[in-house]
Amino acid sequence: MVKKRVVITGLGVFCGAGKNVAQFSGALLNGESGIGPLDLFDVSAFPARIGCQVKGYDPLDHFDRKTARKLSRADQFGLIAAREALADSGMAGHYSPFDMGVSMGGGAAGMFQSEQWLRSLLAGEKAAPVLLRGVLPDKTATEIARACNLAGYQGTVTTACSSSATAIGWGAELVATGQQRAVVAGGSDTLSLLTFGGFNSLKVVDPEPCSPFSLGRQGISLGEGAAFLVLEGEDDALARGARVYGAVLGYALAGEAYHMTAPEPTGSTAARVMGNAIAVAGIDSGRVGWVNAHGTGTPLNDVVESNAMKLVFGERAPSVPLISTKAMTGHCLGAAGAIEALATVIALNHRMIPQTLNFRGRDPECYLDYCHEGKRPCEAGIAMSNSFAFGGNITSLVLGL
Amino acid sequence: MIYTFDDIVISGFSAVTAAGNGIEAVLELLRSGRDALSPVPDDVPGGNGQRWGKALGFKASDFMPPLKARKLDRCSQFAVGASGLALKDAGIDPKEIIPERIGIALGCGFGGVANSAEFLGGYFKGGVEGLAPVLFPNTVSNAPASNASIEHGLKGPNVTLVQRFCSAESAFVMACRFIAEGRADVMLTGGADDLTPLMITGFDATGQLRRYAACFGEGSGILVLESAAHAARRNAPVKATVETVAAIGLFPAGHERDGADRLFSGAEQCDLISLSGIVGDAPPLMERVGGRAVTDIAPVLGRSLAMGGTAMATLLASLKPGHQGLHLAASPEGPYYAIRFTGGATKASDPRDPGKV
Repeated sequence: MVKKRVVITGLGVFCGAGKNVAQFSGALLNGESGIGPLDLFDVSAFPARIGCQVKGYDPLDHFDRKTARKLSRADQFGLIAAREALADSGMAGHYSPFDMGVSMGGGAAGMFQSEQWLRSLLAGEKAAPVLLRGVLPDKTATEIARACNLAGYQGTVTTACSSSATAIGWGAELVATGQQRAVVAGGSDTLSLLTFGGFNSLKVVDPEPCSPFSLGRQGISLGEGAAFLVLEGEDDALARGARVYGAVLGYALAGEAYHMTAPEPTGSTAARVMGNAIAVAGIDSGRVGWVNAHGTGTPLNDVVESNAMKLVFGERAPSVPLISTKAMTGHCLGAAGAIEALATVIALNHRMIPQTLNFRGRDPECYLDYCHEGKRPCEAGIAMSNSFAFGGNITSLVLGL
Repeated sequence: MIYTFDDIVISGFSAVTAAGNGIEAVLELLRSGRDALSPVPDDVPGGNGQRWGKALGFKASDFMPPLKARKLDRCSQFAVGASGLALKDAGIDPKEIIPERIGIALGCGFGGVANSAEFLGGYFKGGVEGLAPVLFPNTVSNAPASNASIEHGLKGPNVTLVQRFCSAESAFVMACRFIAEGRADVMLTGGADDLTPLMITGFDATGQLRRYAACFGEGSGILVLESAAHAARRNAPVKATVETVAAIGLFPAGHERDGADRLFSGAEQCDLISLSGIVGDAPPLMERVGGRAVTDIAPVLGRSLAMGGTAMATLLASLKPGHQGLHLAASPEGPYYAIRFTGGATKASDPRDPGKV
């Protein structure tokens, strides 16, 4: 089967670091982090009390009251970002509804609201059933499909922190094989007590803004948001005169089959996935200019990912910057892969490599180039985006201009 | 979307359900005219007078050491158990396959919710001191697939999907593509669900016990997909061949006929139809089913979001060599799937004996 080249014709984002592509691009290019105090729920009892929350959010700025009431916070974020991406693509009216689909990644999804139902139930209080409507992440995809009349593929990947990277890879596959002419691919996830309390209980949340690959890093900063890319066949996109931001050149995924929470320490599976993604993209690894890391800022992840880089790029590894945008966006879990793919595409278009913020000092175990000192011009037209997850799920995307 | 395949076979399948362990238990139940639904206990809020398809006979220690089983959530236990049975049915010892060439794509509905509720309950009752870190890793819905991959050593593609009552079918098409693209030789696929009293309370609160959550069930149904070439190399038993996977996301108003045409393309001659999810409540689909022979596990095992794994395994176990089978799945707001199989290994292009590749 001859596959189509899959291009990106629309971008949309709504997260703590920017409520649209223009704001997000500004933060990315200027090195502005959205991490700060949280007020979405009471975090006073936790050792870490910060995160990258979407601040000043009023659903009624985006939805009528009746609609907003039926949607979880994750559904709302997803719809906002997907609509921005679709409007940006100018795709409306060009394809049959059956030829357009939605492929998204989710995580805790509507848990922010559902846990309020549980709290009331356990307290013997009356709990509003509507709080349960978005308990599963698939509802976001269904809402996007219905609101945007996408009658083709509709699916939700739920592999925790690699969900939306896989959703983009799979969405590209649907277009590349001619099964869909356009797919809105991305992810949505929001802060919740479940994930905030969970990661705190595992003692992997940094009380200060996360500092990936730095000496003294203590873990993640949690975030929330949504990002979507509109994917089309290059032939269709050019025929309708669409703006092309770049291309999804390839992806790969695997399970480590090692441990539910700890990464395999040598980074061999991560390296295998990265290598496979490069092979699927049909390029030489020498063309990869930089890598947008999973880069959580946990002591273990950042060493393992650095090890994987060395296995993939060999002697060239020190000259392939490994950067993390999580110090800007926080770790957005089910939406992380999509937000980071979007950041990668924006940076490629600006011919620059983003800075890894919040540098605290050089860690001898992180021996590569992480762009801690600032953003950097780069003529490379291809970059990768990594996503690792609980359960050992690993996905790598290869993105190009 | 309609993918056509010509080189993917099914070499094994199994299930753990309210009927017991193994697909034969499901077939026996269907033949008996009985069901495996049991009364929801009286002390479950909202469950008064309801029945559910609890896998009461399932013991995790039948499939793994008890100490290991205690670390896994119930949904993961189902997935590990059903995966092991399916691998055995396929005659596969994962240790004899390159681990990077065997993966898992699983549909999972409410997996992780039980641990999430228990974890949060600890916080709501006891504050930060009440948090139990051991519960948190299995709050993710990919825990069942990941635990199955750890237990059976599956290092190939690994993914979990949820999409309403079509969660297993969403995983199935990805598994097929992973084999077709050469990303794996063998893929385990299907679904896993667990069912807790709290979910019954939630279904009751949202009115779903009077609708699609009536007589909900739990368990896991797993198929072993294999490239035909790989199956031939190991002289594997071939239970069926995958023909096509068709899907639409929704029926746009005024386009119902077009949508149904897309799903039923090539399915005119099928001999047996499997109904999954809420197909029975989807007129555009039931009009096409007409009076043809159907198999429907929901009335006897209970319905669940990833029931498609067990439904497909039941269809394949009932399909005679050379006969055409059609698996239909539907969700209240979409998506909709139609998956065509041929029983046995009797494709015209295949000169080898039926039942063997």
